[in-house]
Amino acid sequence: MSAVGRVRYRSEPSFEEVAARYPNFPRLIALKIDVHRRGVYYTQRALSNVDPEKHQIYGWNGISFPHSLLLRDGTTLLVMPQTPDKDPFVVDFFDGAFWLLNDGAVVEEVEIWPKPRYYDNLTRSGLRMGDVVSARPQRLDLFVTSFCYFYHVDEQGCKFCSLPKLHKTLRSEHKLPTRLNVDDVRECFTEALKEAGRFTNIHITGGTMVKGSDVGDLEVDYYIEILKAIGDTFEAKKFPSQLLATSYNERQLAKLKENTGLSSFTADIEVLNEEKFNWICPGKARWVGYKEWKDRLVRGVDVFGRGNISTGIVGGVEMASPHGFTSEDDGLKATLEEAEWLAERGVTTVHVVWMPAAGSQFHDLKAPSLDYFIRLSQGLQDIRLKYGLTVDFDDYRRCGNHADSDLARLYYADR
Amino acid sequence: MSHEISLDASVIALFNDPATIKVLGTVDSNGVPHVVVKQSAHIAADGNIHYLELIESSRSNANMVRSIWFDGTVSFTAIADEAHSVQIKGKPIKAHITGPLFLQHYERLHDTHPDADLAAVWVIKPQKVIDQNPATRRAVEAAKHPHFVHLDKLAKRAG
Repeated sequence: MSAVGRVRYRSEPSFEEVAARYPNFPRLIALKIDVHRRGVYYTQRALSNVDPEKHQIYGWNGISFPHSLLLRDGTTLLVMPQTPDKDPFVVDFFDGAFWLLNDGAVVEEVEIWPKPRYYDNLTRSGLRMGDVVSARPQRLDLFVTSFCYFYHVDEQGCKFCSLPKLHKTLRSEHKLPTRLNVDDVRECFTEALKEAGRFTNIHITGGTMVKGSDVGDLEVDYYIEILKAIGDTFEAKKFPSQLLATSYNERQLAKLKENTGLSSFTADIEVLNEEKFNWICPGKARWVGYKEWKDRLVRGVDVFGRGNISTGIVGGVEMASPHGFTSEDDGLKATLEEAEWLAERGVTTVHVVWMPAAGSQFHDLKAPSLDYFIRLSQGLQDIRLKYGLTVDFDDYRRCGNHADSDLARLYYADR
Repeated sequence: MSHEISLDASVIALFNDPATIKVLGTVDSNGVPHVVVKQSAHIAADGNIHYLELIESSRSNANMVRSIWFDGTVSFTAIADEAHSVQIKGKPIKAHITGPLFLQHYERLHDTHPDADLAAVWVIKPQKVIDQNPATRRAVEAAKHPHFVHLDKLAKRAG
């Protein structure tokens, strides 16, 4: 792909220039960030070498794309396809391998996520198992409902979020129910666990359901039902798992812990600044509120323990225009200060790279610079080190979507 | 040290002999060495050293990650006996944490050591081989540094 003859989408220093400024930051992790930030464009040659028998793929707009990629150090890339006019990285195929290219230059060899054995099996109800429970390289993923009250009822969904729209389309294409059936889930897990060595973690999430005596009570009950079905497939009472859900109070968290094998809990605050949170996440602000969201995370440490409670942020979204921070330094400072407040109290913070997505209200904005994300990733990991916090349940292998927790690989042996 | 080398058949045979002791040497960020036996190490068909890292949170694994991220060098010393040992220095170039090679080793490991888990199959590209046989080492260094010798070693023997 040549950029000659057209105006570049971004006017900024190259990947190599920025990476060179940070010799103590792993180049492969900087690359991951930039790939997440800019997306990838698959050449026809690459797409024609994708093997649906070997590779994990998904269909979108009538085209089958690789689900995502792996770097040679085991780092997961979770990247969306992008059009060439947005200056994405390019994935091509030659010399018998897939390669990542930047401005025509080869950067790294990449692998397409391997397809799990269970994927094409059918549940008794006739659903393809890979559509019910999807996979990452070492994780089983369960998106239990495409419904989000904030988005579908209140019309107050998070402004960066494209998931309700995406999952509604995917569910309709694959004829999945709005809410997954627990028997289908149990069957899929039973089958998936037959592939020895394939998975180390279970991730469960879905849209918000506010119903109940306390906000979210019905959501909690549904997750308990799902987690019990998953628990039926294990000998052990507890199993490595992460529930990413709406912020719950202590009673709800205790109920989850007592009745299931769940081992960690995450409630994404998305933006670590109250004013920006209120603007960007109006549903969360209205139903729970910024201060209460943070306080619930802190109180959750008493239930699940230090290192097992986290929150996620959409890195850089605090700079979305027109109401976001106008400087990356200001956005970063505000974010890291709040992350440190949480860490002091036993809550760890991880970030994803904000890539303005089609289907979200922020779809036409631009993500911050690579420089910003390198500083954010290092900053979050440094805070964890300062407060002796681990992020084992949400690291490079158990998740793969957070550059900051990829860095934790260097420090497992220090504890 | 950026050369790519092919290992001699004799080195491969020594390294891949199950009776040979194989020792991985890595360093941490402070230069502290970490030297441990890794009997799973072998020269694979691709000409590289592969070894199974069984513990995700081990010091070796962290040092390997640091090496692949920051272009560090690690070593394997293969010891058959005092007279037969080689040291291979190299660069970690890949960590298989999933995929066919990982799963193949995982299943084999499960058959032999059911309680063991597998964190990664590390691939190390050899860059330098040193024959650690004491007589060979002496001869190589004597040729390079003829001043480094006690005189009595060179003196005429009495009688």
